[in-house]
Amino acid sequence: MKNSTLGDLKVDQTGVVCKIHGDSRFISRIISIGLTPNSSFTVLQNDGRSPVLVYCRDTIIAINRKECAQIEVSL
Amino acid sequence: MKTIALLGQPNSGKSTLYNALTGAHQRVGNWPGKTVEKAEGDFFYKEQLFRIADLPGSYGLTANSEEEVVTRDFIERGNADLVCLIVDASQLERSLFMLADFAGIHCPAMLVLNMMDVAKENGKTIDVAKIESLLGIPVLGFTASDDAEYPKFYETLEKAVENPRILSAEGIRKIADAVKDSSVERLESLLDGADFGVREHFWVASKLLENDPLVMAEVRATVSPDRFAEVEAVLKSEKSAGGLITGEAKYRWISEILRDSVVEKKNVVKLSRFDKIATHRIKGKLLAFGIMFVTLIGCMVLALPGMMIGFGLMSVSGPVVHSISESLGIWPVLESFVNGVLIGGLGLTICMTSFVFAIVFVFALVENVGYMARFSYVFDSWLSRLGLHGKAIMPLFSGLACTAGAACGTRVLDMRGQRLFAMVLLWGIPCGAKLSVVLFLATAFFGSAAPLFALVFLILIFASFYLSSKIFGGKLLPLEERVGMIMELPPYHKPQWKALLKMVGRNTWSVFKKALVIIVSASLIFWALSYSSDGNVENTVLYTIGNAIEPVTKLFGMRWQLFVSYLGGVFSKEASLGIMSTIFGSTDTAFSLISRDDAGANLAEVLSAAVSKPEALAFVFASMFNVPCVLAMGSTYREANSLKWMFAIMGYYFAISLGLAFVAYHVGLLIF
Repeated sequence: MKNSTLGDLKVDQTGVVCKIHGDSRFISRIISIGLTPNSSFTVLQNDGRSPVLVYCRDTIIAINRKECAQIEVSL
Repeated sequence: MKTIALLGQPNSGKSTLYNALTGAHQRVGNWPGKTVEKAEGDFFYKEQLFRIADLPGSYGLTANSEEEVVTRDFIERGNADLVCLIVDASQLERSLFMLADFAGIHCPAMLVLNMMDVAKENGKTIDVAKIESLLGIPVLGFTASDDAEYPKFYETLEKAVENPRILSAEGIRKIADAVKDSSVERLESLLDGADFGVREHFWVASKLLENDPLVMAEVRATVSPDRFAEVEAVLKSEKSAGGLITGEAKYRWISEILRDSVVEKKNVVKLSRFDKIATHRIKGKLLAFGIMFVTLIGCMVLALPGMMIGFGLMSVSGPVVHSISESLGIWPVLESFVNGVLIGGLGLTICMTSFVFAIVFVFALVENVGYMARFSYVFDSWLSRLGLHGKAIMPLFSGLACTAGAACGTRVLDMRGQRLFAMVLLWGIPCGAKLSVVLFLATAFFGSAAPLFALVFLILIFASFYLSSKIFGGKLLPLEERVGMIMELPPYHKPQWKALLKMVGRNTWSVFKKALVIIVSASLIFWALSYSSDGNVENTVLYTIGNAIEPVTKLFGMRWQLFVSYLGGVFSKEASLGIMSTIFGSTDTAFSLISRDDAGANLAEVLSAAVSKPEALAFVFASMFNVPCVLAMGSTYREANSLKWMFAIMGYYFAISLGLAFVAYHVGLLIF
């Protein structure tokens, strides 16, 4: 089965980050805000256009759709 | 004197702590060679002087942005006697990442767990003593918005300074090295024998793995070329994923510390009903516009008393000064000076400052309660095209009311480059006064074609945004720092009224001081240029200058009368009309710089008779992008903290407006 990315999940679905792709600048940003491999999160809003809202490590994080595609997740 | 560096992520309450500690004893400057603001303040405790450096907020210590470079540099150089890390206790795990990123830098440290009250409300029990024993540095459970908590803070600070403790990265290292054939371990061994000052080799190796550009350059300069080739080989094998290894190790270290020291009940997380609206693609924007609209009205209401004092001062003082100077038999020149420069300048400054107060207050409130991030979220798609953060919408929108106040509102943006760029755009957005003057002129000269001018104006404003982003965007908003939105939406807070009002009061006062200097000097210059003992314009310096440079200004379609009016517009929009009515009208009275009372009802008729169509076209276009006013100059100077930048923005808009006038005039000559 093809791995899903963050943008594929629907509201209220909970997932775990598997892999993060991208350059080291992106990785450093996403890690310092709290999303790391093996961290779990809940999708709060995904309307297909705006940045995706996820709840992770006690806070709401907004992630741009393009960047979401770089984050592989599993349910 | 002891220097304390405040280090914390955005929304950790760092600025609340900083403001509470230093009160009015703050200095703002720039870090040398950087567009990053430097904030320092002092306070005394037990007769000891403490200097607090409020380091720019960032999520970690990797040197990706100028802010992070400044922060890292300050700590690495050992400039601080103590690093005070401040984290949000209600989001401890995520917030402690900064501590994990700092671990391994041997500078004495203490940790403040802020917002303990919120953590408790959320059902978290935090064993502070346990965390302290695990970390080996002083740790304090704290609520920065509560005055009663500060004695505890000072005690911990004293303890931390007297008995300095450092935070080793040993715990993270063990986790990272547990992986078989760990690349951090290999990198660390390659660094053997090199000296990195206060930084552990493990810390340097981690940053190498995270592709930190500064550490990379430093290692290249420190180790032998052969060694560096080996370092590069290790990094190449990890590609860009190196940061994931160390990042994960840091978070695992954090969870190990929190495992036994924090008890929390699991909450079901859902977007609150308000947030569902606030972050909705359409409803969220409508709500935001509604809030901005209410904000603008609120600003007017808040600013009203100040405006009344300002204008009242000017109208009351006129006759008073007149009668005093008459009874004392002082020269009329002195009377004109006192009225025009001193009282006029002061009155204008009060008016403007009250508007600034209102905007700064409302913006700070929106930020303080946590709503600002929602603004950014819904408007990011619009503003990111210009390279700006979504929350720039607030100052830009309020620019429609008052450029000067909105310039102070750019403070909501975190990075100085963003603030400067927002100010550049802001000057191109017409404030209420500019819009009414431009429309008045368009109607006076071109009658029913005026709506067409409004449309062209609108198009030109967006064109100016594009031009600005081409000219200033590259320097102020470096492309490599522009990444898609990855942003925290912090939880809502109750406003901290006391801290808020203090902060707003201090800001307004400092705007007032700087604005007064600029406005009084500008009033002085204009007064001197436009003074004539008999009210005849041809006896003013302005006339002499205007006349002398007329051959040049005629290229832009402006005879001396028009050019002098254009220059008056730099002072204030009203002055532009006032000068025109004096020059073209038959009114004997000397024109006023601040009120348009003199711009009589027949000004429109007089103007259209005295000015040819091509000239009128040139003048209307020149007025569109003329410098907003002297108040806007004052507040831009104060917010940019640089005269150089203020003059750069001024020059830029002179170029645009004269360029447009040139084109309009010559096109007009062909058409009419």
